Amino acid sequence: MTAYIIRRLLLLPLILFGITLIIFGMMQLLGPDKLLAAYVDPNTFNKLSNEELEALKEKYGLNDPMVVRYAKWLNGVLHGDLGWSVVGKMPVKDALLQRIPYTAELALYAVFPVVGIGIWLGMVAAVHRDKFIDHAIRIFAVVGWSFPDFVFGLFVLMVFYSWLGWLPPGNLSLWADEIVRSPQFHHYTHILTIDSLLNGRFDIFWDDLRHLIGPIMTISWLWWAYLLRITRSSMLEVLNKEYIRTARAKGLDERVVINKHAKRNAMIPVTTVGGAMVINLFAGTVIVEVIFNRTGLGRFTASAATQLDYAAIMGSALFYSTILVLGNLIIDVLYAVIDPRIRLG
Amino acid sequence: MMSVNREPILQVKNLKTYFYTEDGVVRAVDGVSFELYPGETLGIVGESGSGKSVTSLSIMRLLDEKGKIESGEIIFKGRDLLKLPEHEMRKIRGNEIAMIFQEPMVALNPVYTIGDQIMEAIMLHQGADEKKAREMAVDLLRRVGIPEPEKRVDQYPHQLSGGMRQRAMIAMALSCRPSILIADEPTTALDVTIQAQILDLMKELQEEYGMALIMITHDMGVIAEIADRVAVMYAGHIVEYGEVHEIFKRPRHPYTYGLLSSIPRLDVEQEKLKSIPGTVPDPLNFPTGCRFHPRCEFAEDRCREEEPEMVEVLPDHYSRCFFWKKLEGLEVK
Repeated sequence: MTAYIIRRLLLLPLILFGITLIIFGMMQLLGPDKLLAAYVDPNTFNKLSNEELEALKEKYGLNDPMVVRYAKWLNGVLHGDLGWSVVGKMPVKDALLQRIPYTAELALYAVFPVVGIGIWLGMVAAVHRDKFIDHAIRIFAVVGWSFPDFVFGLFVLMVFYSWLGWLPPGNLSLWADEIVRSPQFHHYTHILTIDSLLNGRFDIFWDDLRHLIGPIMTISWLWWAYLLRITRSSMLEVLNKEYIRTARAKGLDERVVINKHAKRNAMIPVTTVGGAMVINLFAGTVIVEVIFNRTGLGRFTASAATQLDYAAIMGSALFYSTILVLGNLIIDVLYAVIDPRIRLG
Repeated sequence: MMSVNREPILQVKNLKTYFYTEDGVVRAVDGVSFELYPGETLGIVGESGSGKSVTSLSIMRLLDEKGKIESGEIIFKGRDLLKLPEHEMRKIRGNEIAMIFQEPMVALNPVYTIGDQIMEAIMLHQGADEKKAREMAVDLLRRVGIPEPEKRVDQYPHQLSGGMRQRAMIAMALSCRPSILIADEPTTALDVTIQAQILDLMKELQEEYGMALIMITHDMGVIAEIADRVAVMYAGHIVEYGEVHEIFKRPRHPYTYGLLSSIPRLDVEQEKLKSIPGTVPDPLNFPTGCRFHPRCEFAEDRCREEEPEMVEVLPDHYSRCFFWKKLEGLEVK
């Protein structure tokens, strides 16, 4: 197992090299003129003469062959320099580091409702197959699954912000933001819900939480419905297996049959899908961050992409790929923990 | 083993188990009666779909939700199992009546060790603590002929061969010293050489534990090997019922006769192996009259119209055929 993990980790740089090379290559298809747009204020862009534009392209190295430019970028990355973000108006590295905690916090908390409620409801539905509760849960899931998250997000804003005033948009209230930025506030983990508690500021914790609930509801809405369906069908399959009949033939209580013998087997496919889903939570925050007007990696990457801020795009791609590879590794390890056939096979 | 004068340990009386499917009602078991005496082996033989497995699952009350026991009685030690509340039934399953299944590959839970799965029943029914249950599990594994039981007890099913898994299943079933063991095609999925070993083991353990055995199989060879008495099932009915030697020698139902004639023999010259023409009827739509008549070489008009009852054709030998006398003098070659 350890050897396997090490082997996978050694593969990580190779995978990152491949992914960044492909994305870098795709961006070169835009040509030097489009790439230049990221460096120049759109208002002055049209006023520049051709000579001036050429000089700028030379200055930013946009006329160099792709291989040279990729090598330059890679060299920078290896020295800890991800380039300058036009959108962020700061080095890409700083822009990412500033935003990752916000998105991480959102994704981390969204995992609980998605995984918890999704798996739990899926199990309940499977055990009570074709009963009222099963139908109710499935209808709930179909509605969740068919409702686009941007519509649901706006709906949440309308009800909980506009009508009830409970869940405001943004990351923090102004007063809280000032305190958080002040030198008295210590950032131990950069996850604000935890830091606020460590600083003893329950008011800030509460304020942060109120800003998080809406986006979490929106993100989890679609995913738990999906996970529920996977869990239900996996559980139904397992409940039809012969070893479940063996367990019943031993005289075990139905609760033991379900909780001990069925659930662990049903979790094997759920882990694969659920794990991939959790990874996707990190990437899937773009829409909620825009709707709820939150600072975060998703929104940053989206605006970098629309404004052709290639250094920022490359930086985000690097981060997302790393999360993807490590996340998949964690899933595979979990998989082995649950299933001895993988561990010992 | 003649068992006429003893009290049966299990009596199945006119059992009817139907499945309510989307296509209609499947009368999988349709009025089955038999007795099981202490210490004996009853073979239930039939083609797939004849209702033999459903009969055993009905005794255990382990049918899936589509299957319903319509009527009948299953008297075990004086109590009707069909009238017991579920929690009472759980005390009988695995404890007094145990069951082993056809596919040892899929009948063991892949994510728990062999030991864990054996200990479970011991701890549940005998109230043994974990340490004691583990010792018992190791002893059981040794008893069923698994080498290195101390090591095997901590292994997972996929680390054992098919034969070893079936031995582990047997150990699990025997863990509470049941008075009845139901074996549903326990050797079908195994290699022929392993089959013989497993049958020998079961015979041995049956004597040692003094339990009654219901052996469900489609294989007349297995019946000859292990059973004292046999019930031949066809299309939800028992069509012939009696002592093994008697039935093998003097079959009095055309279906049994056909089954016995289709066993390949080495000691008799045969140009072509005899087979029963046709296929098992659609359980949604059994033929009227005798359910075997479309495949029967002795069928007459009466067989198409009227359903035959079980008749005692010879002492302790029953057949569900109007014309059983036609088989007199026809010896199975």
